[in-house]
Amino acid sequence: MSNSEHFATVMVQCFIDAVNKGVDLVPVVADSTSTSKIKPFTEAFPDRLVNVGIAEQVMVGTAAGLALGGKVAVTCNAAPFLISRSNEQVKVDVCYNNTNVKLFGLNSGASYGPLASTHHSIDDISIMRGFGNIQIFAPGCPRECKQIIDYAITHEGPVYIRMDGKALPELHDENYQFVPGEPVLLRQGKQVVVCALGSVVHEAVAAANTLKAQGIEVSVVNVSSIRPLNRDALAHMLGQSKHVVTVEEHNVNGGLGSLVAEVISEQGIGGKLVRLGVKDGDYAAAGDRPYTRKMLSIDSAGIVAVCQRLVSEH
Amino acid sequence: MNPFQLDIEGLENKARSIRRKIIRLNADSPAGGHTGADLSQVEIVTSLYFRLLNCAPDRVTDDTRDIYIQSKGHAAGGYYCCLAEAGYFPEDWLPTYQHNDSKLPGHPVRQKTPGVELNTGALGHGLPVAVGLALAAKRDGSPRKVYVLTGDGELAEGSNWEAALVAAHYKLDNLIVINDKNKLQLAGTTESIMRTDPLDKKWQAFGFHVAQCDGNNVASIVETLEGLKAQGQPNVVIANTTKGAGVSFIAGRPEWHHRVPKGEEVELALKELADV
Repeated sequence: MSNSEHFATVMVQCFIDAVNKGVDLVPVVADSTSTSKIKPFTEAFPDRLVNVGIAEQVMVGTAAGLALGGKVAVTCNAAPFLISRSNEQVKVDVCYNNTNVKLFGLNSGASYGPLASTHHSIDDISIMRGFGNIQIFAPGCPRECKQIIDYAITHEGPVYIRMDGKALPELHDENYQFVPGEPVLLRQGKQVVVCALGSVVHEAVAAANTLKAQGIEVSVVNVSSIRPLNRDALAHMLGQSKHVVTVEEHNVNGGLGSLVAEVISEQGIGGKLVRLGVKDGDYAAAGDRPYTRKMLSIDSAGIVAVCQRLVSEH
Repeated sequence: MNPFQLDIEGLENKARSIRRKIIRLNADSPAGGHTGADLSQVEIVTSLYFRLLNCAPDRVTDDTRDIYIQSKGHAAGGYYCCLAEAGYFPEDWLPTYQHNDSKLPGHPVRQKTPGVELNTGALGHGLPVAVGLALAAKRDGSPRKVYVLTGDGELAEGSNWEAALVAAHYKLDNLIVINDKNKLQLAGTTESIMRTDPLDKKWQAFGFHVAQCDGNNVASIVETLEGLKAQGQPNVVIANTTKGAGVSFIAGRPEWHHRVPKGEEVELALKELADV
């Protein structure tokens, strides 16, 4: 699509804009200059980037030190290595020490499809949710991505941003205003509520369009703000239907599916929940995006089929 | 500037006073303590806080202050005793060490204790963060120096060596790593569990300027640290120490890694540590 944009490109432009506005922002990479598409930044500011080599633990530790030294430190590398390899540095140096570090998990979920499970991050949301104080966002389109990053840079404290690896089109028009914590209702329908985050929001919207043509009305909620989260607002949206479906390119344990299950049970909302994503005890398949998503039923066809089944059962 | 600037005799007196505090603090702890590790580092932290560090209790947020990072976070008790002696918080906090709701938990927490710069406890975290602090200071043209104290058993953590590469690559000559080389760790001797020797050659190979000192001798520590020059390389000082130094029945004994003095041991230790 003509207005599609890579999130990494959006991210780098946000960094450039921030430095031009006087923010003392320092990107820290682990040989991940191409992954992060950082070249326009290094061309604009040749001496600002810190590259620690292929070493995620020291990438995160160094970022925490830079933050303690007064910088806005932003780490940029592939989400699976950031989350898993430097897990304790994220926990201790960033979260527990409450340092002003922004962690960008690039090419998250199964963005690296055929490269298989070492390169997939299907556990990042659940891990970050286990840490006390880090804010967690998963943008679904370039406009939202930019606004989340602009917010993260000005917010004092740790932030994790789950960034998809493919160019994605817009979900919102130019009037969109990101509000931390607020779930966003993208489609309204009474029969099923579909919650999604990140790039699979587009699958949910496509599914809603298909279902509408079949006479089935579903809501689509974009839960891009995992922490903070206005749980009352989400509960209100979930309470509009007897059926809730969550869609995520992530393990159903600990991610969006678990989060929605918590809200449903804590708020006493009735209805049945179907969690779509990587199943309990499983990994994402190795293959391209359409294949992987089909296997997990998180493509639009899979979401359509689940919604049809739920509606037909009643 | 350091507000104390003690001479060698003054530092020796402070070290003895801090050791007495360590004995009492651990004896009062309801959750054990790391008495051996606390005692091995006494002369190092005393030399830093009472002579070398450009920091003071009334300047804990000064952007130009020197930074000390206690990477061997399990020796928090010894660290607290030094900070209390230097006036960072009231001495009557010390008997609350590791009690419920204390401002002095079993590992350092900067949100709780004035003077603490970094929450540590999991090993191998101090040096990477110190690298970031040193890098920030370099880029700001700040006179700040960053000191980080590690154990020697801790050097088995690979994150230290990732950080060593970065420190040398970025020529962080405002970074001073001190290895409290007391040759013992939780389960026995460092030599038998995971050998770090020849430690000096390892640091040299990683691009560090290496110095050694007697880590339980303030004169040796001061001479070595004051002799370091900024010359385009990060610095490491291998401080050869004795775990449990200063108390005859604790020194060099691995069982004191996580033991505290009880009953008559307290009086015996304090007697050995009395001012002459």
